[in-house]
Amino acid sequence: MSWVARLLPTCQEMSKLLSDALDRRLPWHIRTRMFVHLRMCVLCEQYRHQIALLRRLLRLTNDSHSAGVQVLQAGLSDEAKERIRRALDSSHS
Amino acid sequence: MDEVVVPDSRRWIDEHGDYLYRFALVRVYDSNVAEDLVQDTFLAALQGTRRESGPTAERRWMVGIIKHKIVDHFRRTAREPLHDDSRWDVPFKDDEFLADGHWKPAVGESRGWPDHPDALLEQKQFWGVLACCLDKLPPRAAQVFTLREIDEMDTEEICRLLHLTHTNFGVMMHRARKQLRNCLSIRYFGRTEEAVQS
Repeated sequence: MSWVARLLPTCQEMSKLLSDALDRRLPWHIRTRMFVHLRMCVLCEQYRHQIALLRRLLRLTNDSHSAGVQVLQAGLSDEAKERIRRALDSSHS
Repeated sequence: MDEVVVPDSRRWIDEHGDYLYRFALVRVYDSNVAEDLVQDTFLAALQGTRRESGPTAERRWMVGIIKHKIVDHFRRTAREPLHDDSRWDVPFKDDEFLADGHWKPAVGESRGWPDHPDALLEQKQFWGVLACCLDKLPPRAAQVFTLREIDEMDTEEICRLLHLTHTNFGVMMHRARKQLRNCLSIRYFGRTEEAVQS
């Protein structure tokens, strides 16, 4: 087991590779070693799941109208509305 | 027929103002900038003409404009040094790992995350915490992270837009993800601060 482990990325390296994998396609030999590591390591598998879930959650903010997501989203203050209104009015004239 | 109809910009503010503001805010994390972007969007809309009609088309048209404004804003700020990015000049401390590269037990054990995003959709408290955690990212990292994770912009495109090398980009994304993951684990999913420091 230990000689296999030496061929594989460490958890620290895995955390970077798992992030990279979300942004670009990694070479096959790296993906293979990651795959084996993930099979053996609960904590890295957990990290992989969490950063992927984070992405899915953030992308939900694009078009979700759920009550939950709305909290993330404030509205324009009255002062700001007034300021924008004046700016638009003056650009009319 | 070509008579210019003066658009009812007051109606725009009421109908689209909040939506556009929120759209901008989750991307720039700065309420002043977001307000300015909304204003610029309406001003640009006044100059332009919309091809389709109907309220949905109007909203879509304005979202299209504000997207451009946000990218312009990022392009502009990419050239200015962002003052509080100095924190990131400090070598990144990967202090969640033991000397042999394994997770420290306490950090690794961030249980309590759900399997599916739907479980969190209606949890108002979660989104409040997420907003706080996003706020703590350094500004440049927040920009990069937002373009990639919310706007689904291509990695190449982001690097070009913000003059980043692929290595820099990768490091920023990695740090941002790790920081957000830890922030959420501690502040929402119930991992204790003490456990992290042990």
